[in-house]
Amino acid sequence: MRRSIMALLPLLLAGATGCGTVGAAQEAVSPTTVRVLVRDINIRAAGVDCAGTGPYQHFHNRAPFRVLDPDGAALASGRLAAGTAVAAFAEDLGVERLPTYCEFAVGVRVPQRASYRLEVDGRPALDLTPDSSEGPALVAVVPS
Amino acid sequence: MRRTLLPLLLAAALLGGCSTAEPAPAPVPAGGAAALPGPVPADLALRPAPGTAPAAPAFTGALTDGTPFAAAELWAQRPVVLTFFNSWCTTCASRQAALSELARSYRDRVVFVGVAGADQADEVQEYLRAHRVEYPVILDDQQTIWRSYAVREPPAVVLVAKGGALLRGWPGGLDAPTLDQRLRELVLAGQS
Repeated sequence: MRRSIMALLPLLLAGATGCGTVGAAQEAVSPTTVRVLVRDINIRAAGVDCAGTGPYQHFHNRAPFRVLDPDGAALASGRLAAGTAVAAFAEDLGVERLPTYCEFAVGVRVPQRASYRLEVDGRPALDLTPDSSEGPALVAVVPS
Repeated sequence: MRRTLLPLLLAAALLGGCSTAEPAPAPVPAGGAAALPGPVPADLALRPAPGTAPAAPAFTGALTDGTPFAAAELWAQRPVVLTFFNSWCTTCASRQAALSELARSYRDRVVFVGVAGADQADEVQEYLRAHRVEYPVILDDQQTIWRSYAVREPPAVVLVAKGGALLRGWPGGLDAPTLDQRLRELVLAGQS
């Protein structure tokens, strides 16, 4: 048994060294938040979980997403969490259910690129715009 | 001797396992034909539907096990509660266990029917089992039923009177105690 381990040791070491090299060669990535606002003006209570409606019904809890670079290469992927309903108007309408948008936010780590796109559930990708007004973020605002 | 017997015993155990193994029966899909209601109780007393109520959009579809389903056949006999949901819907999931229990308490008197829009059949099954949904469920893959009831996102609940009058709809759904109260107010005679 001891002989077998001794024979395997160089291979194991080579493998470990290989992993370290790959890791060292990886691009630097930065944390950011992908934020998508679906402006569907659906009637909801502010703050409740929501999903996209109309042409954005594929925006919902558990929907798979990918952040793409300008060449279409995937930089990050995951699954969306449920959206959160946010009031569409600042005025207090005095009712529980009011016109809202559905906002999605998900944290990712991506390398620096000239531009980014967001693909959800295999549908055509949306352009993401850098925005730092509330911390580093890549945002998209879509009509519905 | 012991070394000789060991392989024989192992082989016997393996062969014995092979001879007794039988394919497990496929589980009955939740939300299929087995979930359809029984006869209407003879003592079911209902309020008359308001004459001003519009007709609910009639629809047909297939239950989770492929059984053909016609809504009008169901509401010809008793009130029907349509629950529009998705397997990924967090609000639906948080209310579903209580709604499932409410549906059981009304079984055969008021029938609940789930309508899953553009969902994955296996994930719907997982949802139905996790929340003990024991009423019929339609897979509305193209969301045609959703659109006919103007449902934009789950959850939503619609109440149809016996005879097909559209009584109420609740975009955003409602919890089980509130729905129970509305059923007593709107369809069951002598209950409110």
